[in-house]
Amino acid sequence: MPSATVAAAPSTSGNLDFDALLAPSAAPAASSPSAPAAPVAAAPLPVAQEAAPSWQDFAGSSTLYRDPIVCGFVSGAVLGALGVFVVLRRAVFVTAAVSQSAALGVALSFLLGIYWGTAPPPVLGALVLALGCTALLAWRPRSPRLPREALVGLLYVAASGLAVLVGDRITQEAEDVTAILFGTAVLVRPQDLLAVLVVSALVVAAIATLYRGLVFAGFDPEGARVQRLPVGWLELLLWVLVALEVSVTTRAVGALPVFAFSVLPAMAALRATERLPYVVLAAGVLGGLAGGLGYLAAFFLRFPVGASQAACAVVGFLLASGLSQLRTSAAALLASRV
Amino acid sequence: MSLTRPQLFECRQLKVGIGGRAILPAIDLAIKSGEFWAVVGRNGAGKTIWLKTLIGLLAPVEGQVASADGVRVSYIPQRSGMDELYPLLAREVVEMGTERGWSFVGWKGGAERRRRVQAALAEVGASELAERPFRRLSEGQKQRVLMARLAVSGAELAILDEPTSAMDKVAEREAFEALRELQQRHQLAVLVVSHYLSLVRRFADHALLLDADTPAVVVGSPDEVFGHEVFRARYGDFAAEAVSA
Repeated sequence: MPSATVAAAPSTSGNLDFDALLAPSAAPAASSPSAPAAPVAAAPLPVAQEAAPSWQDFAGSSTLYRDPIVCGFVSGAVLGALGVFVVLRRAVFVTAAVSQSAALGVALSFLLGIYWGTAPPPVLGALVLALGCTALLAWRPRSPRLPREALVGLLYVAASGLAVLVGDRITQEAEDVTAILFGTAVLVRPQDLLAVLVVSALVVAAIATLYRGLVFAGFDPEGARVQRLPVGWLELLLWVLVALEVSVTTRAVGALPVFAFSVLPAMAALRATERLPYVVLAAGVLGGLAGGLGYLAAFFLRFPVGASQAACAVVGFLLASGLSQLRTSAAALLASRV
Repeated sequence: MSLTRPQLFECRQLKVGIGGRAILPAIDLAIKSGEFWAVVGRNGAGKTIWLKTLIGLLAPVEGQVASADGVRVSYIPQRSGMDELYPLLAREVVEMGTERGWSFVGWKGGAERRRRVQAALAEVGASELAERPFRRLSEGQKQRVLMARLAVSGAELAILDEPTSAMDKVAEREAFEALRELQQRHQLAVLVVSHYLSLVRRFADHALLLDADTPAVVVGSPDEVFGHEVFRARYGDFAAEAVSA
């Protein structure tokens, strides 16, 4: 935990840690993280800050933490629900490749800003790279020598490696790249939260509208084609929705929690129930809880936020698996007695 | 190219294959309302490729497939064609039969869809399966649910690719009987790929023998096809046993 003077520059991604935010002079600056303010020199952290934060600390700065908690909850909930369709299509690592590409897009935006003077908005960079990755994955080479998973692996490694290399060349924003890749950002800028809310609302509306088509096209694609459902368009729409949601959430919470939210709540919900509508609902709730509770756990236990959110998603999966196993065992026991 | 009803589909000098290479000789045949067709042949004979070409999932290598305007087709693929990772109830699988084109968009018509689904399940004697997970049903029960999906679809042509594989002999015969009932009740044309030649002989009006090895195509009544020299050559000593088993 840093105990030296902290140069707080929350104007880019809010890449502060909780210690810096809890320092009395840092809080006012961080409360308006969108302002391209001059860096705020936080006071040297008092010894008392080394103690674990209390609910009073949290309540005292609740307005500061409201946005990132809302952002974590909404990102987790929508990615969780969307992730059900990703997991059912056996394309788990597609989300990993897309989120790493989005992270690379953000990093490239910063790089362009440094070397060209003007940079595209990071969310735009994330969107372009995420859509590009999706398009590459949607294009299926006819060669039978390599499966599609090989292309997913190639894109994942290429995007991850390039993001780190680009990050190495970004001197002013280096910590932003870490925040994007691993979700260490404590704060969320208002414009990023707005982007997450708007895109998430669109994604939820699209899933609700296309639900029956997405399910039929995934369960029995040939039967759906024969009944003239637009199976190709549905697949494309699904991956565009994934790319959109991943782009804005990667910018706001980081690639690691985005991947975790896209996969683990869906896996947990699939273990817990045999009704697809309930699976989607449960995955949304579990993802939202992982995003919100993960942030709280990071606050109270002084963990990096993204890793804490990912860990909460893992715990959710383990709990759901355990409960599912218990239920199966209890049912078998009851059946044997009857 | 459209046809005059009751002709639903017609193959004109149709050659099928993969990657632009034909694997079978040209096929000419017409499928009319109410007919029961069976496609037979050994593994790798080209049955599924021909079927997928007929319904537009694969492009013809040569020749044409013509269909009647607006003809409604329902397709039950091989077991591996359905992804049982999806946690769906039997009635949700049947409900898929009601979809056509972009009909899945929107929320209207739910009550009417549910009523049709219940009626279709009752028609095939599967009402008690409605609320059970599809993937946990036996093969015979799954086929009854898929027959209900056929019934609810309002299809004029039902195409089934090896519907009775993985079934025991009793379930297999029950599936064909259910199919025959649906065919007669709805004036449905049926095209079924099957290895169960005795059932083909009993239920089908027309048979199509495919053999990509020779290569050869034989079209006729089941008796004509099973008496053909190509059939005897390909099935050898098992020919008579397979047909009468």
